[in-house]
Amino acid sequence: MTHENETARAIARMLGPAGEEVSCETCFEELDRYVELELAGADADAVIPGLRAHLEGCPACREEHESLLSLAASDVL
Amino acid sequence: MITAAPIVRAMERMGRAPAVDAGQDVAPELDADSREWLRGLRAEGPLRDATIARLHALLLRAARFETGRRKTTHPHLRGDLDDIAQEAADDALLAVMARLDDFRGLSRFTTWAYKFAVYQASVKVRRRAWQGREIPVEEDAWAVVSAGSPGPAEAAEQTELLHAIHTGIEEALTPHQRSVLVALALNEVPIDVLAERLQTTRGALYKTLHDARRKLRRYLAESGHAHGELVEEVS
Repeated sequence: MTHENETARAIARMLGPAGEEVSCETCFEELDRYVELELAGADADAVIPGLRAHLEGCPACREEHESLLSLAASDVL
Repeated sequence: MITAAPIVRAMERMGRAPAVDAGQDVAPELDADSREWLRGLRAEGPLRDATIARLHALLLRAARFETGRRKTTHPHLRGDLDDIAQEAADDALLAVMARLDDFRGLSRFTTWAYKFAVYQASVKVRRRAWQGREIPVEEDAWAVVSAGSPGPAEAAEQTELLHAIHTGIEEALTPHQRSVLVALALNEVPIDVLAERLQTTRGALYKTLHDARRKLRRYLAESGHAHGELVEEVS
């Protein structure tokens, strides 16, 4: 879904991601593994189902995912 | 000069991080660097102290990375960000040491450790940014959302959906679900800020938000407002 304006973004925030998603606790437990799967080019969503949907629905976990991905990538380089 | 040893000694007095034999076996599938981290952290004496200091430096780097990302979004915090990073690194060190046995080797040790620092720093920044601010009341939000400016073709559909959502929030949600959804999804109060104010956890609040969203999607589907991928199948 594209976010073309604030109303559309607010609607998306209120309805959240469709489908199953993991909890914040599971997201934290799996985030390091998920990030490294992403960096390795593996199908992280297939290995850890529901985590991508959670990142779409939870801004706090999403921000932390972005930071962890950057930090882990800097170690790989 | 920051030294992590006093923090860990305090933790050990609480019985949270027992030192064990440096020769303790670790999972054979661990990469060499992760194995070295575990060996050092489970050692005693100078090796342990040196490894803890190295870990604290690593966590501080991660915490500073996280706080550095917020310089533009929270310019008023600029003078506080390094203090926040220091506190985050200290707390992350405690968390890493307390949970060392939980490390499963499914990522590099450094990536596993980073996430504690990132979490601590991001939570602290969000809370500091909202210190002294009141949580917006429900009525504030709808006016802002309605002020969005979709193109003409989208306007009618969006307005209708927004009305349906507003009605669904009133009719389908419990008062607690309504408050949480409005605060988090409509007013964009950071979840860690609301959790602190309500004396609960991020996980518990997100569960409430998740249940509220599910009820709302179901309400929309049942009232004929199926909206593409936003509405899940009604069970």
